[in-house]
Amino acid sequence: MTAVEVRHLRRTYTRRKKEPRTALDDLNLVVETGEVHGLLGPNGAGKTTLCKILSTVLLPTSGTARVDGFDVVEQTDEVRRAVGIVFGGERGLYTRLTARQNLLYWSALYRQPTKVGRKRVEELLERLGLQERADEPVETFSRGMKQRLHLARGLVGTPRVLILDEPTVGMDPVAARDFRALVVELRGEGHSILLTTHDMAEAEELCDRVSLMDGGRLIATEDPKTIGSWLSRFERVRAEGVSPELAARLRDLPGVAAVESRGDQIVVEVEEAGATGEALRLLVEAGVTSLATTRPTLEEVYLQAIGDRGLGVR
Amino acid sequence: MTVLRNNARVLRYAFTSAMADMRATYTWKSWTFAWLARILCQVTLFALIGKLLGSPEQVEYLVVGNSVFIVADIVMMVCATTAWERLAGTLPLLVSCPSTPFVVFAGRSVQWLVDGLACSTVSLLLLAPVLGVSLPLGAALTAVPMIAVISVSVYFFGLTLAGLALRVMKARNLVGRLGSIGLMVLTGVQVPVTFWPVPVQYMSNVLPLTHGLHAVREHLHGAPLPRVLALLSLEVAVGTAWTVIAFFTYRRLVNSGRHDGTIEFGG
Amino acid sequence: MIALFWASVRFQLQVLRRSPDYLMAVVTIPLLAIAFLAIMKNAGRADLAPYAVLGSTLMTVWATALFVSGELIESERTQGTLEGVLAAPVQYQVLVLGRISIVTVLSFFGLAESIVVAWLVFGYLIAVPHLGLLLLTLLCTAFAMVGTASIMAGLFVLARSARIFQNSLSYPFYVLGGTVVPIALLPGWLQPVSKIVFLSWASDLLRDCLAPTPPRDVLFRLTMILVLGAVAFAIGHLLTKKILRRVRQTGSAGYA
Repeated sequence: MTAVEVRHLRRTYTRRKKEPRTALDDLNLVVETGEVHGLLGPNGAGKTTLCKILSTVLLPTSGTARVDGFDVVEQTDEVRRAVGIVFGGERGLYTRLTARQNLLYWSALYRQPTKVGRKRVEELLERLGLQERADEPVETFSRGMKQRLHLARGLVGTPRVLILDEPTVGMDPVAARDFRALVVELRGEGHSILLTTHDMAEAEELCDRVSLMDGGRLIATEDPKTIGSWLSRFERVRAEGVSPELAARLRDLPGVAAVESRGDQIVVEVEEAGATGEALRLLVEAGVTSLATTRPTLEEVYLQAIGDRGLGVR
Repeated sequence: MTVLRNNARVLRYAFTSAMADMRATYTWKSWTFAWLARILCQVTLFALIGKLLGSPEQVEYLVVGNSVFIVADIVMMVCATTAWERLAGTLPLLVSCPSTPFVVFAGRSVQWLVDGLACSTVSLLLLAPVLGVSLPLGAALTAVPMIAVISVSVYFFGLTLAGLALRVMKARNLVGRLGSIGLMVLTGVQVPVTFWPVPVQYMSNVLPLTHGLHAVREHLHGAPLPRVLALLSLEVAVGTAWTVIAFFTYRRLVNSGRHDGTIEFGG
Repeated sequence: MIALFWASVRFQLQVLRRSPDYLMAVVTIPLLAIAFLAIMKNAGRADLAPYAVLGSTLMTVWATALFVSGELIESERTQGTLEGVLAAPVQYQVLVLGRISIVTVLSFFGLAESIVVAWLVFGYLIAVPHLGLLLLTLLCTAFAMVGTASIMAGLFVLARSARIFQNSLSYPFYVLGGTVVPIALLPGWLQPVSKIVFLSWASDLLRDCLAPTPPRDVLFRLTMILVLGAVAFAIGHLLTKKILRRVRQTGSAGYA
């Protein structure tokens, strides 16, 4: 059985006096049981909409989504028992209650028998390092502690599938590192995890597979290392004061995808490791001194790697 | 049976959390000297109006009415506290857990029942004599469980309004205030229901507090038990109706939220 | 300083348009007026209708000032801007006063509302035999109200659980301030206490403005309202100084 199975999923939002907005457009996605699956994409890609649908907070416009084998529309009760949600940021906790009170409350809401619930809460407090301050109000917690409590809350119902929606947003680097270590542990215990992020490094560190999303569509599902290598392969050189014939010579270099002129600037798009050096050598020899190399953004890499659109399109 | 047991557990923990919220807000001292004192001044103000009118009957009518109204006034805070769930960002988490939102919300603001009942009781038993209204002690004591019944029926009316307030968050405090002043005007707190034109009386009859307060007044005047119980069961009937309405309000809130995507995530 | 005052007035007007809660009392005032008027009418005391109308207005003015001064501080606190505003190179008090003033002035429209309600719902025509004096008294009342609100704002910065204070400063002052019932009806030992509440002087004089016989001792009573208002401003000013000193010493305005 798969942990998450999404088929032809579509979700549009109707808006007052405006065209409806499509958040998800014919999305297909499979998360295998026991897998940590990353969902990577820019803001507005539809990641949170997908998380909402999978956690039964939102209905799809069409298509199907199953979590742990249960349909999110028809079998909401089963889905709700199977899934745990954690989202980033400060919200979603009762800040005036203590950590223990928060967890006991949610354990009851996840319909755990009292004894089982108490035991589970103590385990989680211990495991997430909240034991010492378990009886202090959450409003006194640091951001990192709040986020660990969030994770504990998501785990309190012993979910088989865990949805983490940008859990490390706004965390300081140390807290984020600790948090990631916890996710690695959870994978070891056989939880299936869907993790949304826009941080490539995070995806590379944690995920077995990564799906790229943009504009409500799935662009590709890949090994995170593959995507990482794309990132290091593509580069971009900007230069000023380049003559047309020099530009033409640059275009002919092996590994150069395109050369575009923007005002008095030219942009050389490089798609093979090593070609950048060659382009720079040519430019310097021709006496061009106003130079810069940059890496493209993640979104641009997706498009370059997957589609046939050039980098300059965006 | 398991459904019942599960829901009872949800209620119990929601209640515990509600009381913890209360303890986080008040200490015994601040509750007694700030909150209770303010409540008693509210009843006193109306007693003074009775004095201004120059009629001991008016004083008694207003003191009893306002003492019982206190419970409704406080219980209506359910509108504000229910809206807190949306402010705290816990609404999507509540929707996505396997418990019925109505049960959860019903448990989350129970602190006001306890608070309201305590204030009403102090007002009726201790303040009334100070204000020169001597009530038969036995009847005043047995009025307390009747006020408890009223508190519950007002609570579900308040939960219904709170369900509306969750949709119009900007006006959440307004909804609660209008609800409670509405009750103060229409349910026989300051003037008998029969003071109002007949169409308004129809409305009074389906509002909580009307029949319960009537029952308390009759009881304090030594009406026979069957008469009092009959009035009280009317209050129970109205309360039950509001419970059903509240249940559907929350179901609709969740269903329409899932449809139009208004249940926000994270933040 | 004048420019700053107007800037804060404008700012508050913009806030008002987006958050109806600020003007909640203005929306609920007709219902409050109806409740009081119903009591008077039910007891056959149409002559007390002006008491009901003024009482609901003064309660509203007080409640609004209380709510706004608490809300101002609270929202600055939750947004984490409180220290910033306090440390800004402008007089914090002027800023708060500007914002409170506009809401207070607007809340006086509650009087017009109450008069209309008395007429529409109960057919009571409230006569205003001493209009000029009424307006003058309202002006003085507004001045004293803003001064008193500046004390509240200061207390809300200093006190840890401002909200509880905010809630409990309502009805005790409605009683002590003689809003609906003249303080002459309070127990004797309480009357000296109410004399130091500006509201008691204001409500008595306002009631007299609606009575047929010309009010007596007008000058003295107006002066009392103004003096109590000025004392309030002074206390508010001292509190602000104390707060600023604390911010410089500890970097934090409150205990929270």
